[in-house]
Amino acid sequence: MSSTAIRAPAARTARPRGPRQSAWIHRRDRRGLWFVIPFLVAFLLFMIAPLGYAIYTSLYTTRIIGGTTFSGAANYTQTLQSADFWSGVVRVIIYAAIQIPVMLVIAFFFATIFDLGVAKWGTLFRTIFFIPFAVPAVVGAVMWSFLLEPQFGPFVHFANAVGVHNVDFFSSSLMLPSIIVIVIWEWTGYNMVILYTALKSVPRDVVEAAILDDTPLWKIILRVKLPMVRPAIVLLIFLNLIGALQLFTEPLILYYFQPQAISVNYTPALYIYWTAIGDAQYNLAAAAAVVLGLVIVVISVGSLAFRRRRGELG
Amino acid sequence: MNATTAVDRAAARGSDETPPRRSRWRRRKRAGEDPAGDIIPIEMYGLKRGTTTFITLVCALFAIFTLTPIAWIMINSTKTQANIFETFGFWFARPFVLFRNFSLLFQNVDGYGTYIQWMGNTALYALLGGGGATALAAFAGYGFARFSFRGSRMLFYLVIAALLVPITAITLPLYLTYAKVHLINSIWGMVLPSMVSPVGVFLMRVYVEVSVPRELIDAARLDGAGELRIFFRLALPLMVPGLMTVLLLSIVGVWNNYFLPLIIFSQNQLYPLTVGLGLWAQRAQNSGNAELFPLVVIGGLVTIIPLIALFLVLQRYWRSGLLLGSIAN
Repeated sequence: MSSTAIRAPAARTARPRGPRQSAWIHRRDRRGLWFVIPFLVAFLLFMIAPLGYAIYTSLYTTRIIGGTTFSGAANYTQTLQSADFWSGVVRVIIYAAIQIPVMLVIAFFFATIFDLGVAKWGTLFRTIFFIPFAVPAVVGAVMWSFLLEPQFGPFVHFANAVGVHNVDFFSSSLMLPSIIVIVIWEWTGYNMVILYTALKSVPRDVVEAAILDDTPLWKIILRVKLPMVRPAIVLLIFLNLIGALQLFTEPLILYYFQPQAISVNYTPALYIYWTAIGDAQYNLAAAAAVVLGLVIVVISVGSLAFRRRRGELG
Repeated sequence: MNATTAVDRAAARGSDETPPRRSRWRRRKRAGEDPAGDIIPIEMYGLKRGTTTFITLVCALFAIFTLTPIAWIMINSTKTQANIFETFGFWFARPFVLFRNFSLLFQNVDGYGTYIQWMGNTALYALLGGGGATALAAFAGYGFARFSFRGSRMLFYLVIAALLVPITAITLPLYLTYAKVHLINSIWGMVLPSMVSPVGVFLMRVYVEVSVPRELIDAARLDGAGELRIFFRLALPLMVPGLMTVLLLSIVGVWNNYFLPLIIFSQNQLYPLTVGLGLWAQRAQNSGNAELFPLVVIGGLVTIIPLIALFLVLQRYWRSGLLLGSIAN
């Protein structure tokens, strides 16, 4: 796009650089700090400080008798040995491993279609697909709870109508797939719009050259366009992964509607919530939150590193 | 047009002949003329006939999937509690009680709070939090993109790395500190953390990189303009589409936030919609006699309407999509 015309490295090197000049640049650049400081203050107060406090809290234990005492790694040992916590971690990993690829394939498929312009009423469809992004997760989960409800829910009626009887979307085996459907419903449109804008910036000449070479369309899509939107896909994998491992709202709302169908420690975020708010074990909850953070760092950074290595080999 | 023929046609591939229009375009292209405008015409991809119909059909199916819950909530907002459970979910039933249900939103039905108050709270939190987040991100994004002060790169990466910190690991300690500094049940306890948006800073930085030329800033500096003046008069107008996108994303973020308000508010007159609706959903299930389900349904519907309206009105801005698309460059 216009970025080549605008981007500045060329202009920067073109400027004569005497000692006076570089001092001027240095002074000027230091002023940039003032633009960043308001955000940094808020960032420190409401992100870094709480995180530090969580780590600090996790090293102590509060008892009704005896007050707060330093307990070292005790809360961590308890978290690491908690079957409830780890079953939740395993569950969100399985969930992420299914939900993210399925959603990204659907999103990429539609983004490609809208980018090529091969569907009628493309703009209308694009707008419709984006609507769920404006629906709060709480409302989305409430709507789907009604739709999938085992006794009166319309989807059970549909299943009966097509000959599948006695489906229970909230049974232990179908609960995770149901949540996956809900989250795909919520987020596909957003992912699609990002991929669509990325596809739009693929240079036209590259595609034209491929057409002139008689490249079939599917090859243009997979071999020409897909590699060029790779950064956007990596970013989406990263963001979706972080969100998926913190799954909270949907299972909590489903729990309100169907308390028997979903365990209180269904995901690690729920485990932390109930430990802190239900049992008032703040120190233990803080330790679990820190461990969850480490799990997220390991998995998301690990997946990025894996992709990079594959990229170098390929 | 009917579906099976479209499918059959799409499936009946195999012939190698290029459609005539494609070859004509190609000849003109080789001859150095430029027959197309800005977009490559779809005839040039050499698609079989019927493909467009088939793909449109696939889009329509996904659109139905997308609109199903919305249709459900619209239809059921007109029903009584008994009818929500006993009649078919995708058609209307008598009595038609949309207006009675709607009036419930202005009453304190079960003694746990009034919807309209929660809506006011949500709007307030979203405007203050989203507006603040956008302002901070605009300054910081500009600072990171156009100045290279010492440590700027490291600071920027630190901000991005903060995305990895789970919300629970930040919200819990916030709650514990709030208890000490009397920010529990204060709107600032909700608004101030909402102003911190690492994604917003990231997006603004990317946007400034592509839309605010360095030369322009340097020229203004040589003319003796101050940095703040340059930012407000020169850079900010160029950043408007990016600002709108960040504003929209932050407002949606605060509007939809559930975890933070769930933890920090214990007085129901401070609840935002998400927490209020969650509470009603829970109570509707537990207290059988109160008619709370219609309230949950109409409340859900009225919650999503302002945001969908906001998106349609601001479509022009976020659809220009320069911002997110430029990530790919």
